[in-house]
Amino acid sequence: MKKTIGLISASYTSRDFGGLTDERSYASLSYGGRYRLIDFPLSNMVNSGIDTVGVVAPYNFRSLLDHLGDGKSWDISRKVGGMYVLPGSVYGVYNSHSKFLMRDFIENRRYFERAEPANVLISGSNMIYNMDYRPFIERHEKSGCPVTFLYKTVEGDVPGMYLDVAEDGSVKKINYDNASGKKLFLDCMVVEYNFLMNFIEWFGTLDYMDIVEIMMDQLDEIGADAYEFTGYVGNIDTVEDYMRVNMELMDKSVRQELFEGDRQIFTKVQDEAPVLYRPGASVKNSFIATGCIIEGTVENCIISRGVQVKKGAVLKNCIISQSCSVLEGACVENVIADKYVTFNPGTEIKGGEKTLVIRKSQSL
Amino acid sequence: MQKKECIAMLLAGGQGSRLGDLTSAIAKPAVSFGGKYRIIDFSLSNCANSGIDTVGVLTQYRPLVLNSYLGTGAAWDMDSAHGGVRVLPPYATQTGGEWYAGTADAIYHNIDYIDSYDPEYVLILSGDHIYRMDYTRMLDAHKEKNAGLTVSVIEVPWEEASRFGIMTTDSEDRIVRFSEKPKSPDSNLASMGIYIFSWKVLRKALLEDHDDPTSEKDFGKNIIPRLLSQGENLFAYRFEGYWKDVGTIDSYYEAQMEMMDEDPPFNVYDKSMHIFSNASVYPPHYVGEQGKVNDAMICNGCVVLGEVEHSILASGAKALEGTVVKDSIVLPDAVIGEGSTVIRAIINEGVTVKPNSVIGSADGPITVVGESSPFARIG
Repeated sequence: MKKTIGLISASYTSRDFGGLTDERSYASLSYGGRYRLIDFPLSNMVNSGIDTVGVVAPYNFRSLLDHLGDGKSWDISRKVGGMYVLPGSVYGVYNSHSKFLMRDFIENRRYFERAEPANVLISGSNMIYNMDYRPFIERHEKSGCPVTFLYKTVEGDVPGMYLDVAEDGSVKKINYDNASGKKLFLDCMVVEYNFLMNFIEWFGTLDYMDIVEIMMDQLDEIGADAYEFTGYVGNIDTVEDYMRVNMELMDKSVRQELFEGDRQIFTKVQDEAPVLYRPGASVKNSFIATGCIIEGTVENCIISRGVQVKKGAVLKNCIISQSCSVLEGACVENVIADKYVTFNPGTEIKGGEKTLVIRKSQSL
Repeated sequence: MQKKECIAMLLAGGQGSRLGDLTSAIAKPAVSFGGKYRIIDFSLSNCANSGIDTVGVLTQYRPLVLNSYLGTGAAWDMDSAHGGVRVLPPYATQTGGEWYAGTADAIYHNIDYIDSYDPEYVLILSGDHIYRMDYTRMLDAHKEKNAGLTVSVIEVPWEEASRFGIMTTDSEDRIVRFSEKPKSPDSNLASMGIYIFSWKVLRKALLEDHDDPTSEKDFGKNIIPRLLSQGENLFAYRFEGYWKDVGTIDSYYEAQMEMMDEDPPFNVYDKSMHIFSNASVYPPHYVGEQGKVNDAMICNGCVVLGEVEHSILASGAKALEGTVVKDSIVLPDAVIGEGSTVIRAIINEGVTVKPNSVIGSADGPITVVGESSPFARIG
């Protein structure tokens, strides 16, 4: 593998996430009671021997930078290479969904030029998977194509962009739906460095567009390759996805693939005490992070650190964020609670078909 | 370099032979405690919480795990440019090399290290006690009394006093006599093995003691009696609070079981003095459909598919399908195989228990399962 640097786009977000993304980008949404979504692309890059990673930060970067720090937890606080926090554009309403905004590449051109790599691995930050990128990058180098897209073959009606791949493996088209195939684009691609620099030059005037959208119209000229990832992917685009993908952790194979293999998913280290289960606690099929004190009943839940579940409280099918309190006798079902929420004694809250999100610091 | 008022020297070279299998491969201070901690975390966190940012750690026995655990000291915020954690193993010189012959000898061989910070005071700690303590208050007392040595003491029940090093004091807490494990104690103030010396006083005593061929080069046996006989100012500092020596299997087991009490004597959830540790990155623990957890402490990375009652599962430990784990401590990354029953036992770090094993019993001594146990799976 020739020198490859990484670029993670963490600047895009969605307003339609029930309040969870009011103050944070997708990249810093919590996952599995302990992680943030950005941990996955960042750990994958580090585990693939990439020692230089640029993170395009969102306008609202407080939560993300609080998490990343200097990158030490990912072992990427380095003298040679390291983690670079890059300014993202202040997007208008129109572009807030754009993952790979041309303007971000133009503004941060210096980052690529300083590193002088052979390839740039570009990734979004709302897909959960554990992958060794090396075979992907090596395949890209062998193919001689300037761009190689990463995809996964999916069943069902998963929203996203799909690749139309010819028999010889080249990408014919990229579509906004799965009408022409089931190859879901994983918001991840390897781009040859010289090509990327030229591409920025050629299409610089289209700085308000997403580079993938620009490439869509130029595929015949460019000649792009595709690489299939066959492992587990949790794609988080909506609040419903967020609930579902978190709950998929209960599946043993998902858990093992993400966390029990040789490649660790790194995250910010926390100093919390172990979870304490008091007599009378009852827990089933749940993921519980450190620092919690459990006295009540918990079923099918993902619980972040420092949560208190008092006597007689019942939690079912919930995602509870850090430092929430579920007080005596409270009964909470099908709910996503953001940080510091208090469920007062005796409160009964049940989300219906549509997932109910309780905003930060509310007391109910 | 800028002068440091007080630096700490942490004695971490002991074998801890009374912990048996638990210290067969690692030094006692590196033994797991309370699920996610290692014994040395408590002293190091006390230093961090007391503003002591320079700690020399004296290692000798089986230092591999201890050294890698300490790392750069960043976990305790001690990766600073001037000071921080420094591992100090025995070394050779032009005239040969020797192991540290005793606690005082270990400090003697690192006089250069201490001199490089030009401290007024040196805090001597041992890495095998569980307690929370603000050393600045002890240092204040040391300065106030203009002492050459201040020894931290704790009141122990009279009937247990003969197991400790006992300090006899006058009405102003001046130490008038020191007796190691006295048969008929005249005081119940036990030394906690925590000393603050004025560096000039200690430096002189170490040099003298080194030249004494009859000395065992030990703080309790030699340095303290020497200073007493020289009429140096020795004071006791009375510590009130939780302090536990976890040097035996029984005390190690009991100290951890107490953490699950309704009102635990040592509360790790108390955030007024945080306990730092060098935590590995594990996902949150998972309790399965058939899992049952009651009255237990469970760490990140654990998987509970069986029943766990009144037990501690340390980081990454697993209790597989059909297991029953009761009144036990399962150390980091140990796995209890399917269908096994573990009662009143300690399963050592990284040990995989064979499926359908029956280990321990509700009464009798605590069972320790190490790598060489017939219950452990080889490889």
